[in-house]
Amino acid sequence: MIDARKVAVMAVTAGLCLPLALFAIILVPVPGLPAASGFWIPAGFYFVMTLWFGVWGALGGHIATFLAMGYFQGFTLQVWADGALGDLMAPLVALMVFKLMGAHPDLKDRKDKMAWLIGVPIASLVCGLWVHTVNLYFGVITWPFWWVGVLTYFIGDSLAVFIVGTPLLRSLTSYVKQSPMYIWRD
Amino acid sequence: MEKGKVRTFFTYVDERYALVRAHPAIKIVSLVVLNVIPWVIEAPVPLASFLTSLLLAAALLKAPLSKLKDYLPYLLLVAQAVALSYVLGSRIPGNAVYIEFPWGCYVTDRTLLYMASVMLRISSMLVGSTLIFLSLRDTDVVYGLTSLGVPFAAAFAFNLALRFSSLFLDDYARVRDAMLLKGVRLDAGSPLERAKLLSRTAVPLMVIAVRRMQDLSFALELKGFPPSGKRTYFYRFRWSRADVAVFALLVAATAAVAVAKVATPIFRFPGWPFV
Repeated sequence: MIDARKVAVMAVTAGLCLPLALFAIILVPVPGLPAASGFWIPAGFYFVMTLWFGVWGALGGHIATFLAMGYFQGFTLQVWADGALGDLMAPLVALMVFKLMGAHPDLKDRKDKMAWLIGVPIASLVCGLWVHTVNLYFGVITWPFWWVGVLTYFIGDSLAVFIVGTPLLRSLTSYVKQSPMYIWRD
Repeated sequence: MEKGKVRTFFTYVDERYALVRAHPAIKIVSLVVLNVIPWVIEAPVPLASFLTSLLLAAALLKAPLSKLKDYLPYLLLVAQAVALSYVLGSRIPGNAVYIEFPWGCYVTDRTLLYMASVMLRISSMLVGSTLIFLSLRDTDVVYGLTSLGVPFAAAFAFNLALRFSSLFLDDYARVRDAMLLKGVRLDAGSPLERAKLLSRTAVPLMVIAVRRMQDLSFALELKGFPPSGKRTYFYRFRWSRADVAVFALLVAATAAVAVAKVATPIFRFPGWPFV
């Protein structure tokens, strides 16, 4: 059921990620591979928002990605299906890893750090596999180029999440814990 | 605002653009249909006909076709991706082989035809979506989705997310200006160095976001969100006969294309007249 808090999480996450997504696309475009930035900065933000606030953070990231990609690439089914849906799945995979390992996003103990180190690459890989399988299905790339796309996506996305997300989780989780929207209780 | 212009989501368009006045639900359904049809069709000639029809319809409806040139860089990016990928990495049998590579891939007349199909498919989606988005006003999202049976709370949440983006653009500009005033050069260095610098905006932006999230949730709760019971609306959009006819036509066209793809070879690659 939608309530005011969930809507607030989604709207603010989307609003926050959108300008960063616009700059990420301009900043490091990957030649030969549409819908892929080598350093997808907003990923760091919506991963963190999802780990703090749950599924609604991921939905915000999804809307931001669709709007940002659409701004340069058109609001097409292909753009929505590859980047935007992929970016919805990735933070949810990371959240699932944290839940399964019983870890917390403040990255205080060994278990939390392990969940972060394992969860981010798995999530980026799942997202990369999805994005480039969709590209393949729409005929934009062929099989021999599929793994190149998956690999570049995996590296770029993981790097961005680690570089942007790690300081955010370490420095701001205690501050965010005061929020009633924070989904983890000690 | 110039006289005779209407504000839509991203720009101002001529008020004579007929789609602006269409029912919001028709705009949303058209957006889906104009993407699904080229996705279903594989054959180049039907795709070229579809794209030509879209452009003709756009001209007849007085659509701002000049806006399409904003997406040319993306089309070029897709074109080079398609060319690179199919020339170096495909094996599509054809009547004549032009190039053969040591790793087993080759280019035939059908490879070129398939490349043309992919480009026509992406172009059709792009033209169709852009023409609809140019006519979409911010109210259309809520009214269109609720007309199609989506709960008001979900439609409102989506619209709010769209509107919040412009607020953070201002916040981002403020944080970036503060960094520039402190001597940071965001345009210097390698792409990775620039990306790292840009990511330093993360902590202040996140603090702003968390505060804003709490303010927004309080504001929404005070306004009685989610609404219980029957709510009233500021605007009223009635389904005209023309709206119903267009809706039926869109659904029928999608179904016809899907059935024709399964039952006949005309929409399957290579399609008519190459079958």
